[in-house]
Amino acid sequence: MFFDLIQNTLDGLAMGSSYALLAVGFTLIFGVLRRVNLSYGPAIMFGGYCATWVHLNFQAGLLALAIITIAGAVLAGAYVERLCFAPHRQGSAIAAMVASFALWMQFEEAVTLVMPSHVYDFPAMYDGPPFEFGSLTLRMEALVMLACAVAISYGLHRVLSGSRFGLAVRAVIDSPVAAQLAGIDVPRVLLQVFLLASSIGGLAGYLIVSTHTQITPMLGMWSTLKGLLAMMIGGLGSLPGAVAGGLVLGVLEAHSQWFLGPQSRDLLAFLLLFGLLAVRPYGLWRASSAEAEA
Amino acid sequence: MTRKDHPLLEVSELVTAYGKIEALKGVNLSVEQGSITCLLGPNGAGKTTLMMTTAGILKPRGGSIRFAGTEIAGRAPHAIVAQGVALVPENRLVFPAMTVIDNLQAGAYQRRDRVETGADLERMFARFPRLKERSAQLAGTLSGGEQQMLAVARALMSRPKLLLMDEPSLGLAPLVVEEIFRIIADLHMDGATIFLVEQNAHMALKVAQHFYLMEQGKVTFSGTPGAMAEDEVIRRAYLGSAKA
Repeated sequence: MFFDLIQNTLDGLAMGSSYALLAVGFTLIFGVLRRVNLSYGPAIMFGGYCATWVHLNFQAGLLALAIITIAGAVLAGAYVERLCFAPHRQGSAIAAMVASFALWMQFEEAVTLVMPSHVYDFPAMYDGPPFEFGSLTLRMEALVMLACAVAISYGLHRVLSGSRFGLAVRAVIDSPVAAQLAGIDVPRVLLQVFLLASSIGGLAGYLIVSTHTQITPMLGMWSTLKGLLAMMIGGLGSLPGAVAGGLVLGVLEAHSQWFLGPQSRDLLAFLLLFGLLAVRPYGLWRASSAEAEA
Repeated sequence: MTRKDHPLLEVSELVTAYGKIEALKGVNLSVEQGSITCLLGPNGAGKTTLMMTTAGILKPRGGSIRFAGTEIAGRAPHAIVAQGVALVPENRLVFPAMTVIDNLQAGAYQRRDRVETGADLERMFARFPRLKERSAQLAGTLSGGEQQMLAVARALMSRPKLLLMDEPSLGLAPLVVEEIFRIIADLHMDGATIFLVEQNAHMALKVAQHFYLMEQGKVTFSGTPGAMAEDEVIRRAYLGSAKA
């Protein structure tokens, strides 16, 4: 029983790492745009299908598939930014959100048009047996997920706190008008952040589909949902919060799946989100200034 | 760079509108190199709209803004900063969640000369010692007067040829207002060209070489301090004239 708890926590942390990456990308976009991008997950799904298509038609290595997933997500992200967010920068937040919903449908339709059988196999990262530590086991994918989450969070922290680009991003998050007055090309920074967020999302997407070893068009909704959930748990606009939120969500799901079965897993996660939002509407970790307007 | 016979900033027939409402209805004015030029006028006259249009935040519907001989009307804000125009906006608009030093670095965002930027940072700290004391503090925790100084210093970090200031004394205690105006006079002594919007007409007329009076989206009077009786200027700056 005790080992089960630890084992579930470990599995949860691994899955939570990919949620954390999804939430980090989501939070970056929300932070600079103050807009919810519903097409975030579908753009990732698009990248995943690009890689699947290449996998079915050519011989491609694992690294190539990862790169194609990320590149596809970035391309789709750029498309979303140009169509949904660049035109509505000063305008309506609702218009931008609805437009991002429309693109979500577009991505799903495009993908099912080209690849009509919905569910496709996706090659696993590693076929060997899991690592064993005493009575605990850890799969290779789990280790890679954890390592990626740590590396990306740390790298992002370094970039944001210590580079010229990071200074611009923080300035735009803090006050877009003041950032413009300081001479920062705000539309350009917004596009760059969007592409950065999409590439982090694409990486998360690759890790997730290669763990599940299959891809469906549902990945889009799934990614948006998990990213949004983890972001809300962590606190809107806070990057450390997004990481923590992803881990909390992952651990929670792992335990509820163990105790209540897979059907109840998502139900419990959503119940918890509602409960949390009722008690702490700005998430567990308050962000600096983001929540004031959110 | 500028020819002597051209003013540094020349605004002509400028029209800016919010929807159907024209806030600027054909504004004409100019700012001479090396001067402090002051724009007075009652609330709602369009002073802030003029500043925001000059800085590129608002797009004009018509007219022209020539800076150092180049047309800048309607260009992107960062391109206007690159030309050498910096605005200290109304209500300061510092970056509240960033440290004082990061606020100043953001002001120097377009500059690639790291060494010179560092030297300018030290100059700002020498000019505003209180910012140095608080350099690691978040700008949102500063007092109003300190935030105003930070906003001025941030604008200066871009090494502007023209400094636009929108109501720098707004909401500040009288002693702090005096300090702000002492800083404005200092900057002018060092050769800066300043275009100043002020509600505090009494203080503004003390430092300015030239002033404009703006009412209901138009310039209705221009002159040098003393050209119109000061109490008349002040009355109209606060209340507007009966008929613009």
